[in-house]
Amino acid sequence: MQRLEVKNMTKTYEEGGSTITALNKVSMIVEAGELVAIIGPSGSGKSTLLSAVGALLQPTSGSVIVNGKKIEDLKEKELSEFRLNEIGFILQTSNLIPYLNVLDQLLLVKKMAGKVSTVDQQFAKQLLSDLGLEKKYRKFPNELSGGERQRVAIARAFMNDSSVILADEPTASLDSKRAFEVVQLISNEVKKRKKAAIMVTHDERMLTYCDRVYRMEDGVLTLQS
Amino acid sequence: MFLALKEIKHAKLRYTMITMIIVLIAWLTFILSGLGNGLSTLSAATIKNLNANYVVYGEGSGAKFSKSLISASLKEKIDLQSEVEDSALFGSAMAAVSKEGINEKTDIALLGIEAGSFIEPKVIEGKKLDKNIKNGVLANNSLQDKGYAIGDEIKVDSSTIVLKIVGFVENETYNHLPVLFSTVEQWRAYQFAAPGANNGIEDVVNAIVIQSSNLDAESFNKKIGGIETATKNQAINAMPGYMEENGTIVMMLVFLIVISAFVIAVFFYVLTIQKSQQFGVMKAIGANNGFLTKAIVSQVFVISLVGILIGVVLTYLTALVFPAGMPFNLNPTLVVLYGFALLLISVLSSFVCVRQVSKVDPLTALGRVE
Repeated sequence: MQRLEVKNMTKTYEEGGSTITALNKVSMIVEAGELVAIIGPSGSGKSTLLSAVGALLQPTSGSVIVNGKKIEDLKEKELSEFRLNEIGFILQTSNLIPYLNVLDQLLLVKKMAGKVSTVDQQFAKQLLSDLGLEKKYRKFPNELSGGERQRVAIARAFMNDSSVILADEPTASLDSKRAFEVVQLISNEVKKRKKAAIMVTHDERMLTYCDRVYRMEDGVLTLQS
Repeated sequence: MFLALKEIKHAKLRYTMITMIIVLIAWLTFILSGLGNGLSTLSAATIKNLNANYVVYGEGSGAKFSKSLISASLKEKIDLQSEVEDSALFGSAMAAVSKEGINEKTDIALLGIEAGSFIEPKVIEGKKLDKNIKNGVLANNSLQDKGYAIGDEIKVDSSTIVLKIVGFVENETYNHLPVLFSTVEQWRAYQFAAPGANNGIEDVVNAIVIQSSNLDAESFNKKIGGIETATKNQAINAMPGYMEENGTIVMMLVFLIVISAFVIAVFFYVLTIQKSQQFGVMKAIGANNGFLTKAIVSQVFVISLVGILIGVVLTYLTALVFPAGMPFNLNPTLVVLYGFALLLISVLSSFVCVRQVSKVDPLTALGRVE
């Protein structure tokens, strides 16, 4: 099943009188249950692509289609709802809320949508124990290791049961052992829950877990291998 | 509420400090309101207590009892008017009294009223005024603290008059002084002892107090002639010093409330800027502006509410240790009113942050903006 499609997307910036092309007619398709990696040097446009797919950025032309919905058709106000329901973000350095415990980090996502039900509680606990955090429900982010924090961030991204998972350098602050673990966990969850996932990374060692690898260079996306 | 409470619980010191500021402001606000209320009671309690709607003064007196002299005979004409339900004579004078065995003289207000009229206050101890006991007076119970008791004969300074306390009343002060109610005749005997002091008006009084549910002052003045009619509120405001005292206190209260608005606005503005990154993350994972706004506003609400409630408790505790003579009188209605005003202003001031929240770009969550 086709979950995510990027069609002919171009993004240009005006900077100091010259035009910079961050994305140049990028097209890609991600199916449910697929983890796709995007690699490339910094400044190549990987993050721009991720932001556009995550409805954080409006492309200059082209479109993103998630579950048959075109992002460019959404109004400003609908974008946050779209992010809440359709996108799960795994952010760099986890970006957890410092004053919420592990369980509340996940329930926050449900709070944004309205009420937290007991089913949501169960689901959150299920996710956390899948990721090996069943003993850390009540811990605050500052009491967790970097790997644990990143696992919480992964659980949070899955919490809204969205169709698309976007991971922005999820292994950036981890040693390679933890990094492997984290990517493996993302891959497992993506397969198990049938998500369409894109992971942006610098780290070429992580690619073994990915179904396909794209390389981004100067705004041009090409399929590798 | 979810985020608001969790965060308060987590950053106790930070929120305790801002709560303390609100506590102090609320505390001061309530004490000032008590003081203001106490002062205005002292200045005009008797007039406030009058079970009446209008006061008739002599023309040109500017609603001041001390400047007004009219003849009691006007009462007959006033009573004939259809809009008047009842009327009563009223006279006021300042005096100093003493009694044997007490060295210190006491300043009092000597008010002349008709025995049995509707403005005669309720007696809490002793008997009512009696026409047949010419020198009988009702005294405010604060005189009890100075050593006066029922049956005491008291000398009025600068005259040969001797009054006799027949009963005590409570909460009756006039012009910041405790009140002695006497008959109109006794009052005249003191106030107009010097020939000509009554401007040659027969049966003179200061004012006539009227009960009426519907009276047009202007046409009423014309009908009676030579008078000036004021509402009870105008009469209270015209009491010497009343407006000035109240104005000062109200000005301080307004300043306090404005200060609290700014303190809270600035505090939460800085906090919001500090938390931009967090808000960015939350926006990236789907929070809309409304969700974040609610979190901030409910936080301000909780903190202000707790601060104000603690302020109320502290105010009532301090009221217990204030000396008895202090004009401090907490009015629960006013406490509730100022409490709500502070709460409302605090919550409104937190809306300054709302703009800041809506400006946060969720892209910051990605750690770099390209």
